[in-house]
Amino acid sequence: MKKVLALTAFALLFAASSALAQLGATTGTTTMSVAVVAEAGLTVNTSTTTLTESGASFSPYTGTTSLTYYIRTTPSTGGGNIQLEVTTDFAPTGGPSVGSPPTGTDALKYTCTVSSPGTACTGSQTSSKTAQTPVGTFGAGANSAFAGNSASVAWSLTNDPLYKVATYTATVTFTISAT
Amino acid sequence: MLGWLIKRLVSLVAWAALLLAPMRLQAATLTTTQTLQAVISPLGGLFSFPNSVTLTKSGTTFSNYTGSLSVQYRTRTTQSTGSGSITVKATADFTPTGGPSIATPPSTGDALQYTCSGATLGTSCSSTQTVSTSAATNVVTLSASECTGGGGSCSSTSPNTVTLNFTLTDDPQYKTGSYSATLTFTISAT
Repeated sequence: MKKVLALTAFALLFAASSALAQLGATTGTTTMSVAVVAEAGLTVNTSTTTLTESGASFSPYTGTTSLTYYIRTTPSTGGGNIQLEVTTDFAPTGGPSVGSPPTGTDALKYTCTVSSPGTACTGSQTSSKTAQTPVGTFGAGANSAFAGNSASVAWSLTNDPLYKVATYTATVTFTISAT
Repeated sequence: MLGWLIKRLVSLVAWAALLLAPMRLQAATLTTTQTLQAVISPLGGLFSFPNSVTLTKSGTTFSNYTGSLSVQYRTRTTQSTGSGSITVKATADFTPTGGPSIATPPSTGDALQYTCSGATLGTSCSSTQTVSTSAATNVVTLSASECTGGGGSCSSTSPNTVTLNFTLTDDPQYKTGSYSATLTFTISAT
């Protein structure tokens, strides 16, 4: 009889421990991983840049386009840049033109301002309808602020008397890249 | 000789009868009782726990990294007075340094956050939670009389599940590289 009682008790204990094992663990850990790669982003803050004439007759039309850039380049080996291109020439015809100006010396030019960690383009640049032209460059391990960093392009458009009186618009496309 | 053998056989049969008869005649029924007591305690356990979760991103530049994780659990809380919870805590921050960090992010707006959904027992956390290295944050809240499986007053599913959807800020300040952190989930029940 004592053996029977002992066996019964042992069976009950075994069943209880098996039930506990089937209920899992009270804690569990998981490893969370993320791969951070080079990235670049750009916001054009000035949706329409109006070029205006200041003061003297037939002085160039001027205006400024404000940008905010976001960038992360790879340490040691990475780099990046901001470029622009006139993707749609001034319209309607009869006024300024980037691709076919009425006078050979007419041009839409610009100078650049790019905050650190970028480096602004050097001197006056001539915009083009057929190729991208520089705004700024970034070296290896460049990181902008979480809120982005500032850049701007100051435009100058020849005021040619041959332009007919009207309002003309063109489209400029900015591109940022990072490796 | 034959006579001797017969005598021996008769003796043996007689002895056998004498030996067997007392067992049949002395058989009796003995009964006893044993009290069995089962103490059912509140309990909670995590099951089929995924050992990794990867945050990824797609589309918009510097949009958040995202990833999800499902946790399976079984639990039993005390009738009328019990309670319980599943919580999560970052027990190891992202390493190596230079990338995301839960405790000391490079920018104030950086955070590893999550929302909870679809708890099949208990109540999922109700709003966006921010993962911490110093304190556990809520995933599921268990009430009194909760139990896994079997239907009726218990859940119809077993084990129970809850899903966490994580987001991590993509700060341009992070240096490129691969980073990992450790999250520890804990279940408790009373």
